[in-house]
Amino acid sequence: MTTWEGLLFGIGFVTQPEVLIYCFLGVVLGTFVGVLPGIGAMAAISLLLPITYYITPEAALIMLAGVYYGAQYGGAVASILLRLPGTPQSAVTTLDGYPMAQSGRAGVALFTAMASSFVGSVIGIIVLVMLAGWLSRAATAFGAADYAAMMILGLVAASTIGTARPAKGFAMVTLGLLLGCIGTDVNSGAQRFTFGQTELLDGINLVALAMGLFGVAEVIANVRNPDRQSVAARIGLRRLMPTRGDLRRMVPPMLRGSALGSFFGALPGTGSTLSSFLSYSMERRIARQPERFGTGAVEGVAGPESANNSAAITAFAPTLTLGIPGDPIMALLLGALVIHGIQPGPMMLEARPEMFWGLVASFGIGNLLLLILNLPLIGIWVAMLRIPFNYLYPAILVFLCLGVYSVRGLTFDIVAVAGIGLAGYLLAIARFSPALLLLGFVLGPLIETNLRRAFLISRGDPMVFLERPIAAGFVIATVALLLLPVWQAWRRRGAGSRL
Amino acid sequence: MRIRFTRRMALAGAVALTAVPAFGQDAWPTGPVRVFVGFPAGSSPDVLARIVTDQLAQRLGQPIVIENRPGAGGVIGVQQMLVSAGDGHTFGTTINGPLTTAQRMMDSTGFDVETDILPVTLIATSPLVLAVSADSDMDDLESFIAAAGADIEAIAYGSVGQGSGAHLTAELFATEAGVSMLHVPFTSYAEVTTSILGGEIDAGFMAPSAALPFVEAGTMRMLGITSAEPFAQAPDVPLIAGNAGLPDDFRAELWNAFIAPAGTDAATIERLNTEIADILADPAVQEQLVTIGWQAAPGTPDDLRARIADDTAMWGAVIDRVETQ
Repeated sequence: MTTWEGLLFGIGFVTQPEVLIYCFLGVVLGTFVGVLPGIGAMAAISLLLPITYYITPEAALIMLAGVYYGAQYGGAVASILLRLPGTPQSAVTTLDGYPMAQSGRAGVALFTAMASSFVGSVIGIIVLVMLAGWLSRAATAFGAADYAAMMILGLVAASTIGTARPAKGFAMVTLGLLLGCIGTDVNSGAQRFTFGQTELLDGINLVALAMGLFGVAEVIANVRNPDRQSVAARIGLRRLMPTRGDLRRMVPPMLRGSALGSFFGALPGTGSTLSSFLSYSMERRIARQPERFGTGAVEGVAGPESANNSAAITAFAPTLTLGIPGDPIMALLLGALVIHGIQPGPMMLEARPEMFWGLVASFGIGNLLLLILNLPLIGIWVAMLRIPFNYLYPAILVFLCLGVYSVRGLTFDIVAVAGIGLAGYLLAIARFSPALLLLGFVLGPLIETNLRRAFLISRGDPMVFLERPIAAGFVIATVALLLLPVWQAWRRRGAGSRL
Repeated sequence: MRIRFTRRMALAGAVALTAVPAFGQDAWPTGPVRVFVGFPAGSSPDVLARIVTDQLAQRLGQPIVIENRPGAGGVIGVQQMLVSAGDGHTFGTTINGPLTTAQRMMDSTGFDVETDILPVTLIATSPLVLAVSADSDMDDLESFIAAAGADIEAIAYGSVGQGSGAHLTAELFATEAGVSMLHVPFTSYAEVTTSILGGEIDAGFMAPSAALPFVEAGTMRMLGITSAEPFAQAPDVPLIAGNAGLPDDFRAELWNAFIAPAGTDAATIERLNTEIADILADPAVQEQLVTIGWQAAPGTPDDLRARIADDTAMWGAVIDRVETQ
């Protein structure tokens, strides 16, 4: 089947009413679980999985995938309005989205997030259709050394975002790295800092950490500042549509973010989160006025939101062409096929082309549905800010606990989210950036595991980082990034002495 | 509240019908049954549990709720079953790890297999296959053993974690074959597969269902299987037992079992054992299990108790050897 035949076939397949309805159900549900802080795509898909016994495997996959990318749209809503990221990827969106909402531009911020999500998804779909084979080869070409080098670059590139003082940012990344050490070490099997608690063997629950640092901390902060209420009441429906200047500023970051996301999404591991952090740090570095970032820059919402949406689409490349899931949600989607007796693998594309093309076409239709659904909802989401905080915040806490509990079904995690929330509040008072702690926590264990695995496989030879072309490329880029400020300072001083 | 109410009803019924002494027994189950699974929805142990409990619910006339409590290699599922026990309607399915090797690998599992858990029945077993990349020049067990060599760690193999079935099976194989290999732990078969295909590591003991799609696509090769008899899902793969100088009784299988918390009625265990044996005798169910890589293997509660003891001893000896290396 050629690409065009495949696409036409796929569109024909998805526009059948009985398939379209599942696509619609999936994206609507995805939007809502994305909006609700804590309740993520993972929990929603797990709950839906048993229901998919009763529908065809194609419809099941289309619906569950809709929940997955639909949640990426919804994730931005609570990040922008309340500084409560619905998903770890959208933590970056709080950095500029929330200041925008605080200054009365909530509608514009939401519009930017929706439009960027749509553009990111469309570019992701084009990349997936054109380059699926190439992307999945890239996924197997990446070895442990390459991953380690890539993630170190990501950490270095992003470790100063969201904070005015580099030392404070560095401290948060380090704290995140340390928290990431908790749990069973993959390489040695040693149990680190678990204090005999089985619940800690797989580490601190990521959702509990994100919800505690952002959600609970924000609720405590608002309880202490009752006058914040009036701020929220003043802002509102005043302006929902972006100005011409906003539009001009958001398009280039969307395109750059989509390109970043399309590439990193296809790599198993942490593509989506990493690409949204990288996109933000890239936008800030190339901006003419980097000081605007953190105070409500449209670029700081457009870039990361398009990056995480295109990553959510291209993550399907290795999943569909090789049967290799890149993250737990992808593994869950493949599990839905296993339930139907379909063994995912490299032959799936040939054996069931309707699955691949149907799904790809459903991405297009699903994203269109999401845009149509979400643009009118912007006004409603903004109006949510008029709910008195004494009703809104207790409700948010309930949803947070539900969401955290839904991940593993352990009360331990609810206790953990309360403790982390208190710590997060103290960090917020001292103006430390929780986003960077999250970055360190996500990347730390991956860097450590891959670094040690690379040395294990190379029998201790550090040259592996220079002999493998991919790893060498990332190492050179990292060194360049570290030397850049030194070089800039030297040039400025040179120019100054000449004057 | 609801349970107390139904118990009162049952009591009233029992008083009224004293002529039927077995009433209380026949009444089980009086409400929904919960089955704890230590792995996430959609995983192979979860799908297995759903296949069995789908039929079991019809036979018991009560709905069965699967409670997924993933984590710590399945140990959390068993722990949570024990925490929720006491109503006579709480059970679990688990893979072998939490009942055999977890006590050795973890500081504390929080339970004692012998005193806290009642075996109900073995459900199914799964062997592992030794898989290598199709690009390698190793095409049978003999050439693999020759390439591995005695003590140079020339071959790097991947597993799904320290102390996992894939790791311990490889170490058992290495001891029996007299070779020494480099162990590279990963967290999933997907990662092991990626690493083998990318040429980073050489081999891995894998679940047949994880390796088969790549064998069919011509990118992987299976050199041997660890079961005592040919396995239905991959009938052409030669047995490792009795091949290339390995002992005839070489056998390493993962398994999945139905368990109950201590204190569960003997009659309930008996009933569950019989019903599950009937379900597993159905060729359609056996077929479903084979597609996801499991071979139905029902038995008595005592069979399962013996299997737990045997495997704890066998893998314990392997762990002893790994730890002294």
